[in-house]
Amino acid sequence: MISGLKISDWFGRGFASTWRRLVSGLLLLVAFSASSAWAFELPELMALLAKQKSGEARFTEQRFVHGLEGPLNASGTLSFTAPDKLSRRTLTPRPESMVVDGNNMVLTRGERTRTMTLDSVPELQGLVEAMRGTLSGDATALTRYFKSTVGGSAGGWTLDLQPLDSRLAAQVRSVRMSGRGSDVLGLDMEFIGGDRSVMTIVPTRPAP
Amino acid sequence: MISRQRRIVVLLVWLTLVAAGVGWITRTHFSADLSAFLPQSPDARQRVLIEQLQTGVASRTLLIGIEDGADAAQRAVLSRSVAKAMRDSGLFDQVQNGDASDWKAAGTWLFDHRYRLSTSVTPERFTAVGLHDAIAGTLSLLGTPAGNLVKPLLDRDPTGETQGVAESLIPANAPRTEAGVWASRSAPRAVLLATTHAPGSDLDALTIAIARVQSAFDAATHDMKGAKPRLRLSGAPVFSVQSRDQIKGEAIHLSIVGGIVMGCLLLLAFASPKALLIAFLPVLTGVVAGTTTVSLVFGNVHGLTMGFGSTLIGETIDYAIYYLIQARGAAIPGTGWQRWRDLNWPTVRLGLMTSVCGFAALLFSGFPGLAQLGVFSIAGLVAAALATRYVLPVLAPDGATGMGMRRTMAKVAGAIVRGLPRLRLGLFALGIAALALLAWRGADLWRANLSSMSPLPKEAQALDESLRTDIGASDGGLLVVAQGADVQTVLRNAEAASARLEKLVDSGELGGFETVTRFLPSEAAQQARVASLPDSATLRARLTEAMKDLPLPVARLEPFLADVEAARNQPMVQREDLATGPLGPIVNSLIYQRPGGGWGALIALHPGAEFDQTRLEAALAGLPDVQVVDVGRELGALYDRYLHEAFVQVLLGALAVVVLLGLYLRSARRLLAVCQPLVFAVVLTLGGLALLQVQLGILHLVGMLLVVAVGSNYALFFDQLHETGRADEDTLASLMLANVTTVVSFGLIAISNIPSLSAIGRVVAPGAMLALLLSAAFVRGAPAAARVSSNRR
Repeated sequence: MISGLKISDWFGRGFASTWRRLVSGLLLLVAFSASSAWAFELPELMALLAKQKSGEARFTEQRFVHGLEGPLNASGTLSFTAPDKLSRRTLTPRPESMVVDGNNMVLTRGERTRTMTLDSVPELQGLVEAMRGTLSGDATALTRYFKSTVGGSAGGWTLDLQPLDSRLAAQVRSVRMSGRGSDVLGLDMEFIGGDRSVMTIVPTRPAP
Repeated sequence: MISRQRRIVVLLVWLTLVAAGVGWITRTHFSADLSAFLPQSPDARQRVLIEQLQTGVASRTLLIGIEDGADAAQRAVLSRSVAKAMRDSGLFDQVQNGDASDWKAAGTWLFDHRYRLSTSVTPERFTAVGLHDAIAGTLSLLGTPAGNLVKPLLDRDPTGETQGVAESLIPANAPRTEAGVWASRSAPRAVLLATTHAPGSDLDALTIAIARVQSAFDAATHDMKGAKPRLRLSGAPVFSVQSRDQIKGEAIHLSIVGGIVMGCLLLLAFASPKALLIAFLPVLTGVVAGTTTVSLVFGNVHGLTMGFGSTLIGETIDYAIYYLIQARGAAIPGTGWQRWRDLNWPTVRLGLMTSVCGFAALLFSGFPGLAQLGVFSIAGLVAAALATRYVLPVLAPDGATGMGMRRTMAKVAGAIVRGLPRLRLGLFALGIAALALLAWRGADLWRANLSSMSPLPKEAQALDESLRTDIGASDGGLLVVAQGADVQTVLRNAEAASARLEKLVDSGELGGFETVTRFLPSEAAQQARVASLPDSATLRARLTEAMKDLPLPVARLEPFLADVEAARNQPMVQREDLATGPLGPIVNSLIYQRPGGGWGALIALHPGAEFDQTRLEAALAGLPDVQVVDVGRELGALYDRYLHEAFVQVLLGALAVVVLLGLYLRSARRLLAVCQPLVFAVVLTLGGLALLQVQLGILHLVGMLLVVAVGSNYALFFDQLHETGRADEDTLASLMLANVTTVVSFGLIAISNIPSLSAIGRVVAPGAMLALLLSAAFVRGAPAAARVSSNRR
């Protein structure tokens, strides 16, 4: 498996994305066959995720809020560029966007645009760092804000996150990410008070 | 001989005047605000700038850092306790450390007044379609991390007005938060921002406020064990206080060192402590007279006037030196002063008048600070000359008794005087070369700017910049100011400006801005918003229609209906009510009563990465009474005007000196001979500075005026020497001594840490020495002088 990793790195630098896909497929195969012998833990997951330097995806989201009659639906696109660019563009029911670049966050709702610094709101920073940390395979960013539990195998994993910071913990009960290989396919959040959000993610562009 | 009676009368009058002066000075207010060096007749932008410098929020803003120590938690505890002590002291309008609890009271107020404050409240928003869109927008936040903030307000504020108001108040460049308080991004440091209650010009009050911060910090760290954090302070109040202290300290330091050095020189020259004491009397009289006169004329004395003025009239020590030496050797004891009065006093008097002419130019300056310097110098010089003329003869009728080292001095001086004329051609060529250099460099030479006059050390500037970056506080570099005759006009003007700025924010060209109209909309805007709110029955009907396809039950929105109804009957939000509430400090710092009448509102900008000042100015063009003030640019323009005025005044002063000399000498040849060395001294000094790549500024210009004023004394003495043929050892020694003391005292100033002081010193020290040497070199019929001198041997 270790040599497999190295080969995939080597290939990834020079070859077209189709080759890359083939190699990650091979890698998955290797990982599957080794899953009984190797425990699938955070470092392994992170190494897997670190391969993907950027990505784009469509999402659909369902939010279950107490006191509302029925779920709130939303859909849109997500994009990520390592190490720290992250955006979520909602297309329905109404267009809005959140773009994070480094420490800056730009929120657009309707015609209004607001710029703010991420680290001025530590709760938010924690969530964004966890997201970016997961997508870029950076375990240190993740473990600074969350206690993590990894389940499953490379072919189908889950990452459960429990906030460490008390201020974030007062808002968010838990976060669960799920995926296959280096793709994140789901993001579920449960908030204090019982509200929940379930997001399904479909990658639209493979890793370059 | 002077009669005993006359002596007593003279001494009594002198002592009484000096005592009265000292008495007055002890009651004088010493100011130190920069505004004294700002023009009296500014244009609209400059007036805004001056108001801001004197009382504006920038002049009252303190930046505080709590650095190092154990960890972020310890710093946060300190930040909270220092902030609490500061708030309790009542010395500060506001103290912010990022603690969210600061906003609790303000938040409640904003919520209660949301339908008057929110710019989204329009008639369209309260139609069925508008309500549907607004409520759908609020619902889109539920079930997200922001949901828990929105949810409690949902039933009362489903259209999200509170959230809109709050969003507009979040600064684009808010500081980092660590352990619940503001922290630096670049250093282990908690940061606080405070506004003093006292205006920026009240240095005594600022000193007390700063001391309060220090003592609060000391009290909080007193029982702390292990690594103790450090307190770092910056901001305009700190700089003002430090500058004053530094100028004061340096002035004292320099006068002590200068006094000791001069004392030693005089002691060497006279070998008599009594002569030493007497020599300082005219200077002291001059300082007392100058300070008192300035205080009487202007009502206060600027710290810089004291600092510079005492230097400017340092030349008065020459009066005493001339007197003490030239009154010697009388045939009948006690009549030496008469000989001095007849032979030398006219020259001293002329020298005095030329100096007065030079300084008089400053009086007509449009800058109160320069005018103060002029008044100080003139009064000081006149008083010192009068003290020399009337008091010294009483105390030392025959001058100084001892001979000291003067014979040696005279020998050296004699050798110089005889040798120098040979160098005439060389000096002449050098002068021409210097002139050519100056002509070639031209205006490029006068590149020094205001910051080169700033006495702030580099570390202090660096700390300030770093704290400002931490807090995201603008350095007040760019301001938008709306003005008007009354509060409502100003608010309407500010709203018009905000509407255009908002567009720049939406297009990403501006990070954000702060305006008072977010808390205090004009009555017109409030009325328009309240008029958009439908009555209860209409709202209920529209709401029912709007909620058809939304998952929120209409039944939950009864509190919303009640709140809208209440808002329709709410009283107008007035400045007076706000000023005493939790938002008072912010409101008071953003809207202010202008000293000259009328009101002004300040809009602070957060430029952002893609900011373009010309686009900002274009966006705001055409709005009545709205100005974009670029502080750096305005200060630069101000400085240019200052420099230009100083040029004109120095030229006028020089012209007055020439006219006066012409009137006295009544001979074109003699006038030329007197002026020649002065011109060359100035040209050579400037040439030297140009060679050394020194950037010249206003204070160099003032220094040149001093070179002319001091140098004219030397030139006149050489002219006198030529006319009378008297070139005894004592005259030469007195010239030499006077020159050495001047060069030494200005040489000391030249190495001062205060840039403005050292600029003067670096011109006058070499300039005065050159003036003497050149006067000797260019003396008319030099061989004759040499002959006269050698005849005496």
